[in-house]
Amino acid sequence: MRDQKELKVVGVSLPRVDGVQKVRGRAVYAPDFVLPRMLYAKVLWSDRPHAKIVRLDASKALQVPGVVVFVSAEDAPRNRYGVYLKDQLVFARGKVRHIGEPVAALAAESEQAALEALKLVEVVYEDLPVVFDPLEAMQDGAPIVHPDLESYSATYPKVAYGNVALYTRLSIGDTEKGFAEADHIFEDEFKTQAMYQGYVEPRACVAGFDQRDKLTVWTSNQQIAECHAELAAALDVPMTDVRVVGTALGGGFGGKLKTHLEPIAALLAKKTGRAVKIVLTREEDMIASRARPPYIIRLKTGVTNEGRITARETQLVSDCGGYSDHVVGTMGLAVTFAQGAYKIPNCEVKGYVVYTNNPNYSCMRGYGAHQIDFANESQMDMIASRMGWDPVEFRRENLIEDGDVLVSTQPIKEVTIKETMDVALERSKWVEKVKQEKVLGDKVRYGIGIGNTIINMGLLSSSAMIKFNGDGTATILTSVMDLGTGNHTALIQIAAEELGMLAEQVNIAEVDSDSSPYDLGQIASRTIFDAGNAVRLAAKDARKKLFETAAELLQVPEEDLESESGMIFSRTDRSKEIAIAGVNGYRIWVKGGPVVGGSGWLGRPGFEEEVGEGYPQAPSKTFVFGTHIAEVEVDIETGRVTVVKVTAVHDVGRAVNPLGVQGQIEGGVVQGVGYALMEELQVKDGVILNPDFLNYRMPTTLDIPEIDPVILEIPSEFGPFGAKGLGEPVMMGVVPAIANAIENAIGVRVTEVPITAERLLQAVKEKNQRK
Amino acid sequence: MINITLTINGIVRTLAVLPEERLLDVLRDRLGLMGTKEGCGSGDCGACTVLMNGRPVTSCMVLAATVDQADILTIEGLEQDGKLHPLQQAFIDEGAVQCGFCTPGMILSSLALLQENPDPDEEAIKRAIAGNLCRCTGYARIFAAIKTAALRMRSDA
Repeated sequence: MRDQKELKVVGVSLPRVDGVQKVRGRAVYAPDFVLPRMLYAKVLWSDRPHAKIVRLDASKALQVPGVVVFVSAEDAPRNRYGVYLKDQLVFARGKVRHIGEPVAALAAESEQAALEALKLVEVVYEDLPVVFDPLEAMQDGAPIVHPDLESYSATYPKVAYGNVALYTRLSIGDTEKGFAEADHIFEDEFKTQAMYQGYVEPRACVAGFDQRDKLTVWTSNQQIAECHAELAAALDVPMTDVRVVGTALGGGFGGKLKTHLEPIAALLAKKTGRAVKIVLTREEDMIASRARPPYIIRLKTGVTNEGRITARETQLVSDCGGYSDHVVGTMGLAVTFAQGAYKIPNCEVKGYVVYTNNPNYSCMRGYGAHQIDFANESQMDMIASRMGWDPVEFRRENLIEDGDVLVSTQPIKEVTIKETMDVALERSKWVEKVKQEKVLGDKVRYGIGIGNTIINMGLLSSSAMIKFNGDGTATILTSVMDLGTGNHTALIQIAAEELGMLAEQVNIAEVDSDSSPYDLGQIASRTIFDAGNAVRLAAKDARKKLFETAAELLQVPEEDLESESGMIFSRTDRSKEIAIAGVNGYRIWVKGGPVVGGSGWLGRPGFEEEVGEGYPQAPSKTFVFGTHIAEVEVDIETGRVTVVKVTAVHDVGRAVNPLGVQGQIEGGVVQGVGYALMEELQVKDGVILNPDFLNYRMPTTLDIPEIDPVILEIPSEFGPFGAKGLGEPVMMGVVPAIANAIENAIGVRVTEVPITAERLLQAVKEKNQRK
Repeated sequence: MINITLTINGIVRTLAVLPEERLLDVLRDRLGLMGTKEGCGSGDCGACTVLMNGRPVTSCMVLAATVDQADILTIEGLEQDGKLHPLQQAFIDEGAVQCGFCTPGMILSSLALLQENPDPDEEAIKRAIAGNLCRCTGYARIFAAIKTAALRMRSDA
């Protein structure tokens, strides 16, 4: 077995394959893509939160010199589409449900002409009653955002009513009995914010026609195969009639999924027969949103005097804004991890996704696992603090273990939370630091806090192909993109390792829906695990074929063969060897074609029976764990929190490219700092008040802590060469760790993120008043 | 239209520009120098940073009509005889590139720093690139790359 022998390519910090083109400024991102006679499009976004469209008139706009085409709901198919609940249309039809909803679009010979014309499009709205608070939206008599909700189809057993787009409930054990066994019951409420993904490349795409006149969209998108499927559905054409090609991707973090601009650009291109480019301004990108949805989370947790958790009831409410999008899925993941990384035998969780007239939220890195993790890990410390227990010992007493059952009824496996916690405590010198002097001068207080993370590993389908060239080099075909995480480099390493080749002998093709086999996409921390497994299986398939031919040529049994650095040789007689190039050359001329390997992979245990009510989440193959320890300095006068250091320990099974893993951890921690302290889309009456990088503050070099990224490698039975993904957990535990460190520093708990100076000072004031 | 003459990556060019045209538009749309990226259009993210007379500027905030006689360096002008600049090489070696969209601006801000201060400490590095947003890396690898490049440039000099 290859796993047992020394790895040659996997585990090496190779430079990323697209590094040179990126540092030279030659990587072509969607805003850089140009076609001959290309038109420039602008979208008319709704500026009303809830209104009937009484009149839409583009006659004046079309008179502007250079304006070529105008499209609206009249030009788009009527079929509704969507990720989970099919409630979306390309353009608003009859009414708008949120500010930033696409109402129409036009294209012109220049961007200036398009902008000028956009101002001349006449829209007459008749305002409808609005609802912005998700809790109010759940009440009887609230204005209804989707009157036709009942008729919408869904990809899961839908439970929806009123403004509730999703109701889901899971339970295990007997919570009544569990609470009866408890000596203390704690009830707390937590709030998380709308968070913008903040990729530096704004959303953009070009729709046009390829050399065979096929309608093609070149786009910056995390899910090319899913984008292709949804584009065909939105246009109501067979998938063979449209093609989607991935450009270089300037970050996504959950903000560039399925379709957004692609159907609009495609409709404009179709109507004119010309290429059409859409590049959003930063303001448009933020107003059109699809940000991380805000959550309100209520936890009721019962514990015994001995520190054992006996029961929990959790209620989650998330505001999805005008359309449900990925918010349904985030809730599916949030309810799955109602117990967090802890053994809670009796648990009931209810989740509600609620339509309002707020912006259309969707999802961001961490999906819904992130929001529930903040609540769970905060409450662990709050309970420990109220009971006078050590927060680490309280966690240890309750850590989840292999075989424990999640509230989704799925048994948990490959649990390594004890290991990540032990290493994090040791690396951060926790034992010494908790005893450290808290008072640093007149105004500054020191604190340290911990946050554990658990998330699913493995989601739905991936497939891959490896095709050989006559010179013995090989090309990987997959629909999975590289957001910037370096996974294309890692996939090459996995293939090269399995095939016994050098990494430079393997490359990866441009992602193209016409030729790349299906992959769900670069989401859910799944790429290295799911796409990695698919690539490894395709490489195994190819290797078998290479060895069959090599055995024939070398006159040795297949089982005796091994490959390394592009050579296939006999283990027992090293004089018998042949280059992979030779095998493929022989195959081309004698056998009929060089080797092609293919595979299919499913990142879940199988199609289980439905559990609970209205549950939209698929079970996962395995799970992944991490621990963050944050050290902060709090200025008690200004409320300013400085994160001094974060120790981040993640079990990645195996680090396929350690430098890439380190980059993921560091980048994730900094996003977590933004989540915890700085970033919030401020929404008032459905309007985003801070749609720019000046007022939506993301961490700069001046806001970041020292980071100690620690990679643990406890190989997974299911991962390629033991690897698990880590894209999301790296930004999760740091958020509650910071909240817990703040309480450790000044004895004040803030249950709403971001913990701005204002919120912190308010919490201090409230605490002083209670005294 | 306003006539301007400027040097871009060592080549003198004369262009007739519109009053509202930005330096960024001239670079990208007229000259096809797509390495300079637009991240925000308001000078907040630094992705469009180029060097103007040796100083970093956000080219989205500079009107082309005002840069007559300027000397502009973009990412495309950094490599010499097909060889990457030490900063470009160090960004690859140290893992400072992820999505790469901030990379050209980040490298040019770093270059301005190293031209002024060949041996910057971490504080100086942080201040020099504080106007360049990176959402992927968390900046730590970028600091490492700038230090590595500085060291290589000093030992080559």
